[in-house]
Amino acid sequence: MAELNLEITSPEKTVFSEIVTSVTIPGTEGSFQVLVNHAPIISTFEIGTIKIVSENSDVQFCATAGGTIEVLNNKILILADAIELIKDIDVDRAKSAKERAEKRISDKENKEIDVERAKAAIKRAENRLILAEMYLKTIS
Amino acid sequence: MATLRDIKLRINGIKNTSKITNAMKMVAAAKLRRAQARVINARPYAHKISSMMSHLVTEEDYALVPLLERRETKNVAVVVLTADRGLCGAFNNNIIKETNRVIDEDLSSIGAKTLLLCVGKKGYDYFKKGDIPLLDKMIGVFSSLDLNTTNLISEVLVSGYLQKKFDKIIFVYNEFKSIIQQKVVSETFLPVSIESANEKESSTKANYIYEPGKKEILEYLLPKHLSAQIWRMLLESNASEQGARMTAMDNATTNAKDLIRSLTITYNKERQAAITKEILEIVSGANALSEN
Repeated sequence: MAELNLEITSPEKTVFSEIVTSVTIPGTEGSFQVLVNHAPIISTFEIGTIKIVSENSDVQFCATAGGTIEVLNNKILILADAIELIKDIDVDRAKSAKERAEKRISDKENKEIDVERAKAAIKRAENRLILAEMYLKTIS
Repeated sequence: MATLRDIKLRINGIKNTSKITNAMKMVAAAKLRRAQARVINARPYAHKISSMMSHLVTEEDYALVPLLERRETKNVAVVVLTADRGLCGAFNNNIIKETNRVIDEDLSSIGAKTLLLCVGKKGYDYFKKGDIPLLDKMIGVFSSLDLNTTNLISEVLVSGYLQKKFDKIIFVYNEFKSIIQQKVVSETFLPVSIESANEKESSTKANYIYEPGKKEILEYLLPKHLSAQIWRMLLESNASEQGARMTAMDNATTNAKDLIRSLTITYNKERQAAITKEILEIVSGANALSEN
């Protein structure tokens, strides 16, 4: 059987490079799953969770801040703007990022603030926090 | 003939210099380690994103997004990546030489006008005296490289390109090969060069599904592609600079050691000669006395 090769790269480093059975992606036009012999596709994806099922059916979750995915000949290439494995999420950092963004939105005086950007920052931080909580529950 | 005192002074002077060059070498080595790690981590993303671009873009797409548009090359922006500081061997000179070559040979042959964007003080110092107009300068960015620098550069370049101030952008920079080796590269940055989707792959060029649509993906991916490339080149240049400085300072320290050694030998010979001379004088003086 053909193997499905997954590679996840972010600007900082290559996060992941392994053979997997399936990957679920929070695509811009709805979440989708990639299995072996998936049709070639290039898609963008949003802030959300990437679910990776590895060969021995271990399930792993990653928090991502969006990016692009390419599938070609059973090779999946994910270029993420930011991505971390669920166990690597820095909860304190996400919390402080959320607080900062909220402060920016509530600060009506300053016109230069990019509300859209702040909202996106909140979304990213919340995504991380939810996943981190999920992870803590599973290990406790 | 140099006196003993002169030689001693020179030896001390060279010793001090070699202390400084040795310290600089250590500093460069420490910085190099960090810079090297960064460039190695940044490379995969930059390469992957450009290979994805080459899968995505075909010639029919050039009109789809303004950044892909092909225009007749009349004005060219050349981005010169040098260091802010010297004492790194031929690092800066090589870049300046290559830039001049590109301007004189490649660009003037097609009758294109050149604009320069100098990143790094050394390049700016050189080119401000010349008669090529400067687009902008960025000095002191290498001491704390972060994504802000990248955004700044890409903003200048992209807005200039979209306003048709220039039709082509070339980067001249040092690629980091190894600690002791750098390679001067001139690379076209815009219009995005699609490496004709290299022959092997073009045969397997698949009919992709695009989600949400090709244009949207391009609009999303292109800015990312550009900043990833700028980021990579900045890191390459930074790592090369530290490597070049380390090598140059290592050579300087070795040279200083050689000099000190040969000077010490001269000093000792001179000293011995002086002592011998003194003894001779004393002995002959004593002899003269005893003969009387």
